[in-house]
Amino acid sequence: MKQASTISVWRGRLAGQIPLITLIILCLVTALLTPRFLSPLNLTNILVQSSIMAVIAMGMTFVIVGGGFDLSVGSTAALAGCVAAMVMLEAGIVAGVGAGILVGAAVGLANGLVIAFLNVNPFITTLGTMVLVRGLVFLITAGAPVSGDAGLPSVFVAFGSARFLGVHLLVWVPAVLLGVLSFVMHFTPYGRSIYATGGGREAAYLSGIPVRRVIASTYIWCGALAGVAGVMLAARLQSGQPTAGEFYELTAIAAVVLGGASLHGGEGTLVKSVIGVFIMIVLGNALNLLNVDSYWQRVAVGIVIIAAAAAERLRSRK
Amino acid sequence: MISASATAPTARLRGISKQFGATLALNNIDFDVGFGEIHAVVGENGAGKSTLIRILSGVHRPDRGQVMVDGVVRNFASPHDAIAAGIVTIPQELRLVPALSIAENIALGDLPVLRVGPLALLDRSRMDDDARAILAQLDFVPDVGRPVADLSFAERQLIAIGRALHRQCRIFILDEPTAALEQHEIERLFAVLARIKTRGTAIIYISHELDEVVAIADRCTVLRDGRLMATSRRGAFSVGDLVSAMTGRAHETTDAVSPAAGATLLETDAGGTHPIHVRAGETIGLAGLLGSGTDVQMRRLFGAARTAAPIRVKSQPRRLRGPADAIAAGIGFVPGERALGLVLNQSVRDNILLASLDRLRRGVVIERAAGERIVDELMDLLDIRPRRPELPVSALSGGNQQKVILAKWLARRVEVLLLEEPTQGIDVGAKAQIHRLIRDFIHRGGGALIASTDLAELARLCDVVLAVRQGSIVARLERADGLDEPKLRAAIGA
Repeated sequence: MKQASTISVWRGRLAGQIPLITLIILCLVTALLTPRFLSPLNLTNILVQSSIMAVIAMGMTFVIVGGGFDLSVGSTAALAGCVAAMVMLEAGIVAGVGAGILVGAAVGLANGLVIAFLNVNPFITTLGTMVLVRGLVFLITAGAPVSGDAGLPSVFVAFGSARFLGVHLLVWVPAVLLGVLSFVMHFTPYGRSIYATGGGREAAYLSGIPVRRVIASTYIWCGALAGVAGVMLAARLQSGQPTAGEFYELTAIAAVVLGGASLHGGEGTLVKSVIGVFIMIVLGNALNLLNVDSYWQRVAVGIVIIAAAAAERLRSRK
Repeated sequence: MISASATAPTARLRGISKQFGATLALNNIDFDVGFGEIHAVVGENGAGKSTLIRILSGVHRPDRGQVMVDGVVRNFASPHDAIAAGIVTIPQELRLVPALSIAENIALGDLPVLRVGPLALLDRSRMDDDARAILAQLDFVPDVGRPVADLSFAERQLIAIGRALHRQCRIFILDEPTAALEQHEIERLFAVLARIKTRGTAIIYISHELDEVVAIADRCTVLRDGRLMATSRRGAFSVGDLVSAMTGRAHETTDAVSPAAGATLLETDAGGTHPIHVRAGETIGLAGLLGSGTDVQMRRLFGAARTAAPIRVKSQPRRLRGPADAIAAGIGFVPGERALGLVLNQSVRDNILLASLDRLRRGVVIERAAGERIVDELMDLLDIRPRRPELPVSALSGGNQQKVILAKWLARRVEVLLLEEPTQGIDVGAKAQIHRLIRDFIHRGGGALIASTDLAELARLCDVVLAVRQGSIVARLERADGLDEPKLRAAIGA
């Protein structure tokens, strides 16, 4: 009897690590199929490609754990990148970066207020802001990239390719954020309130948790982090691109779900969401290295997302 | 014809065993039910009732043993097979489609069709006629075109029974059918069951309400820890017999002995004739029929109603703008629906600490060790099983879930507990434990306000019972003048 329960405990722990196991298997198989996968250049590439999406997926994790949903992050990232570039050209790098992140947080605040206090469905609300914000981006940029006559400040552009301790600065950003924000989610009363609110809004409310404020705050995190991602993107593209960040929302949501978060709320962690991002990026990278046709790549990614969600359902039904 | 078939069992289980992981949920169970018979199954939570039902209704397959229907061995691969064999379960959550009409719900899955050339149209008039005829058998004559969403729970239950009759089901499994019913609705349900019984239906009746079981069952089977303890015929068992067979202990009948009442903890302004007034060491009851407004009264005292009520906590006037204010004032609320008291997918530990997060804050972080200590102490004190704080609370039985909700408020050290239906749907053993915990709470200087439709419970626990009708308190009954169920029933107009 003891033995049986130990086995079931281990099985439970193992099931919680399915995203990580998937990622490891994916890497092993790819490495066996093509030696180029493990080349330093390729691994660096994967890290850099993952970095921006990881920041967005972390914000998305806040919202999804809190029981919500945010489609507007791609547009918000584009807006933040363009605003950052415009302000930077006038008032310097610090002001530009600050403005980009703030404008992202402002979009998040708007989403949060409408969803938490007017009780509008998050899907509809953020679908609206997704379109609205994209419109704003084109309005303020007249549809053209923002890079000034002489380009963005060189220190800012250098940020997009510079390294610290041999690792790209772009990769340091999500690494540091992951540490800090995981601490917030797991070790502060506020973080536990997000899980409680997402897992059972009414129960959390009746336990004295200010659920509306908690919900609104998750969207502010999500917007601000989309802002950070937008600024990173601008550094990488050496300009504010009004068309940047399209479909980022879908990749981010897919990554969070691949990481095992429940769209019903209350489940998921930042680390697992970042693992989900790696799964998405490594999969794309592998298909590229194996010269799979890009149309087929889309088909493959779609299948993986649905398979991950279906596997989760099968597991939880037991 | 009925008398002949009543002797021959229509459904029979032989030597059924079922194991889940390390637990033996059913151990070599024999069970049968005949036409025209009501066979009740009782037992504490976790005794194996649900597993038994699920095996009969095709949800689980037994590890050992046989299921026979009409003398033929059956292996149900799915609930569909069981329904095809005439076995239907009427669960607590009736699976009806609220937006569809009564007639559509009854005919669902077998809609009458009118063929017009190649077209297959819905034969609405036949569907409505069929529904009316079936419901008439149950003495229920509604407008069958109305959506089911308009009906009360009791009426929906009749629709679910009607649907099963429409499908020619002859073996009914009723799971806690009276949990959400008023007294007169229970009487109507019993009349309906008596009717369908005489038409040759077999009924398996699962309930925690032992009085009802004694009143209605022709036979009763008692399960404990997956074993069959006894099967007795009508007249050969009393409530006390059932309790001792279920728990292995003698029937407890401890009456409320409250300590001398102390300082006033909570009071409402005497807007009506009878204010609510809770003192330390006192248990106050709110009695009312479903829909009488006791729920609104409770929520108002907790700041969770639409309109805030002016209240005084320890003589200090307070305005409660939300539950957070009420909790800060030392009030805790145990809602009638357990899903509202618990975040089901979170751990037992997180749920116990849910209302105390701000208290456990040290700087910006939660003080883990202190939280751990509180959780361990309370799980011991309340005997929450299994003793595994990391388990999701949804994995616990109903009684243990209710204890987790109490633990949440004890962790917060509230002084007043508002309890709504504190023992609804939980077994006798856990019920007695919950009662004891409430008593301990008031003995330590707390005050409790209990809203319940279980009048016997109120009569046993409370020092004062306030009767509620149509949203206001109409009478005040004190223990000194004698509290009993008939008195309370008269006061609330049942």
